[in-house]
Amino acid sequence: MARHDRKTFGILLVSAVVWALGLAEPMLPQTRVSAAVSAAELTALKAVGSKSAPIVIEVFSDFQCPACKRVYQETLRPVMDNYVATGKVYLVHRDFPLPMHNHSREAARWANAAAAIGKFEKVEEALYTKQDAWSASGNMEAVVAAALSPAEMKKVRQVMSETAMLDAAIDRDRELGLQKRVTQTPSLFVTRGAQTEALPAGGLSYSLLKQYLDYLLKQ
Amino acid sequence: MGGAPAAFSSFAKPGAGRRALLLVARIGLGAVFIYAAYTKLRHPWMLFAFSVNSYQILPEWAAALLARTLPWLELLLGLLLVSGYQLRCVAVASSALLLGFFAVMLRSHFKGLGIDCGCFGFGEKLGVRTLVRDGALVAVSLAVSVAAFAGARSNRLRPATTSEDPKAN
Repeated sequence: MARHDRKTFGILLVSAVVWALGLAEPMLPQTRVSAAVSAAELTALKAVGSKSAPIVIEVFSDFQCPACKRVYQETLRPVMDNYVATGKVYLVHRDFPLPMHNHSREAARWANAAAAIGKFEKVEEALYTKQDAWSASGNMEAVVAAALSPAEMKKVRQVMSETAMLDAAIDRDRELGLQKRVTQTPSLFVTRGAQTEALPAGGLSYSLLKQYLDYLLKQ
Repeated sequence: MGGAPAAFSSFAKPGAGRRALLLVARIGLGAVFIYAAYTKLRHPWMLFAFSVNSYQILPEWAAALLARTLPWLELLLGLLLVSGYQLRCVAVASSALLLGFFAVMLRSHFKGLGIDCGCFGFGEKLGVRTLVRDGALVAVSLAVSVAAFAGARSNRLRPATTSEDPKAN
């Protein structure tokens, strides 16, 4: 009898697990992107490269700011290709939407929502590339949709419904920026070991930054 | 227009008080140059190159060259001002340099570039405060230059005192 009971219990247990998995599977993406991702975790999801890289670059930027677009395209993209991809730099994006830009917070929400499903880089690139278009129309959803697959876009839209969580993540970055006396975008902070330098705004070029990063790597 | 030179020449008239003022201005200006050089030289030159580049005046290679050399020139001028060696030449050079800085800063301010000044290290935004400060330094430097030339001229005009002069004994 006891042996039969154990067999029955085993069958019931396996059935319960299969049933639970069957139910949980369609909910899995939703659970992962909404409940499981906090504002704090989003910060890590907005970074590219290896966390153990010797140099960390923090970039406070506003998706609607033309100077941010220029620095992203002309300076940070080459850094990603040559330093992040080779494990020398860990590049962290921080949101710092400026009040003067009426669509920048909404753009940051889309970028954060994309980060929650692990697609930050794609959306960041799309937002900067099509900045002129969505800055004028305010329609960044089409830009994000064009950068993602329909399934990914569906997940991003789910996350977009959680405005409070996304705003908390953006405000968290902004607060950090204010603590570091960020007043304009883009603002870059380069950390090597215990030393952090704020790079002077305006004059960032890839060739100068490259020389600086190479200098730091030799230290 | 004639008021400023008149003020400078009255400042330059020989006299203990004026000489003391010139000494303080010269040493103060020298100290400012030395401090400006120190704030740049304690960092890698590339950081200052970012600042120079942000003014959008020079090509990148020239910005890099200036970033490597300017702090040393500031240090040299500072030391020479403090020592008083070749004061007329040094004062003119420092005035020319400061006037150049002032013109560039003024241009960037009115263009609304919103950049860092890069004057004393990094993180100081270019604005009215930095312009007033740089303008004051230009005025002090010009005053030192005029005083240095006027002082040299009055030394030349003053009759030499020798042991044969009865008044000297």
